[in-house]
Amino acid sequence: MSTTAKQALVLAVGGLLTVGVVMRLARRRLLTTRYALGWLGVGVFITVAAVLMPFVGRLGEIADITPTAVLLILSSVTLLAITVQLSISVSLLQERLRATAEANALLAGRVAELEQRR
Amino acid sequence: MTGGRLVAVVPAYNEQATVGGVVTSLVGHGITTVVIDDASSDHTGSVAAAAGAVVITLPINLGVGGALRTGWRWAVDHGYDTAIQVDGDGQHLADEVAKLVAAADAQGLDLVIGTRFADGGSHAGVSWVRWGAMRVLAGVIRRGGKVRVTDPTSGFRLVRAPLLDQFATEFPPYYLGDTFEAVLVAARRGYRIGEVGVAMQARQGGTASADLGASVRAMVRALTVLLTGTSFDIAPREVAATRHRRT
Repeated sequence: MSTTAKQALVLAVGGLLTVGVVMRLARRRLLTTRYALGWLGVGVFITVAAVLMPFVGRLGEIADITPTAVLLILSSVTLLAITVQLSISVSLLQERLRATAEANALLAGRVAELEQRR
Repeated sequence: MTGGRLVAVVPAYNEQATVGGVVTSLVGHGITTVVIDDASSDHTGSVAAAAGAVVITLPINLGVGGALRTGWRWAVDHGYDTAIQVDGDGQHLADEVAKLVAAADAQGLDLVIGTRFADGGSHAGVSWVRWGAMRVLAGVIRRGGKVRVTDPTSGFRLVRAPLLDQFATEFPPYYLGDTFEAVLVAARRGYRIGEVGVAMQARQGGTASADLGASVRAMVRALTVLLTGTSFDIAPREVAATRHRRT
């Protein structure tokens, strides 16, 4: 078995494992559909990349990089994209939490006011 | 709607030692006072309430900007059209509130900043580092907003409708957003901004190193605004004024 083929096999197993874990997490409601779909995409992407390993490797020939490096670069970029997306989500959540906290404080104030008036 | 036109908003985080005196003094001047307790771990809330303030307790710490936005919202919801921001540490004096109101009335201002440096040049009571940082922030505001402000970081301010309505919904929560950036955005959007000289109580504590850190952060903030623009926006004055009259 050639090195490339071994790498492809490991990669394919990893991809399928990702898909399996994500589906399991989604079914146990630990992941919302939104994120489950994203990670499923990653899993499928890895699997497909593994199957197309010889082709992917040829991509590297153009720039004189090994097939392994091509995959590493691709996965780094994917992980970076996911991290940025998560940061955006967290920022949005922070703002929503802030707004909720403010609204909650104002409501608590009104309740106290009403209770005093009774 | 509870009546009255003027309300004092006091953002307070762990200031049980001073907030009572601040509230007593404001209430003594006949000013309705609302203290936004920013999830303090001490007795800030109960001390303020005992002194006669309305206390709004935030469930989590939001910082000065978040506490202020809550305060502006409270003022608007309760039918006030003028809010005075007063620090809970006692450095701003209730006696001086009348000066802010007088300036707003006389010149038709939406935002009045109480400043120690009304004469323009002197840096009384602050270090050179802090003074330098304030000059830079003031410079950015002068260029970007076409308005002269000597102390953009002052926390002693009057905000009046229609600007108050805008700040009740859009107010930046991060460092210096509530002071420097809020002034800049208000100036750009056509709100009338003025400054009035006030006396301030010297603050206890506040080391030189903390001063330096704050100044560095101020510089970074000014640079970010120059590079990426301001990170929040409000409606132009005319639009906000029409909306305010309708409600």
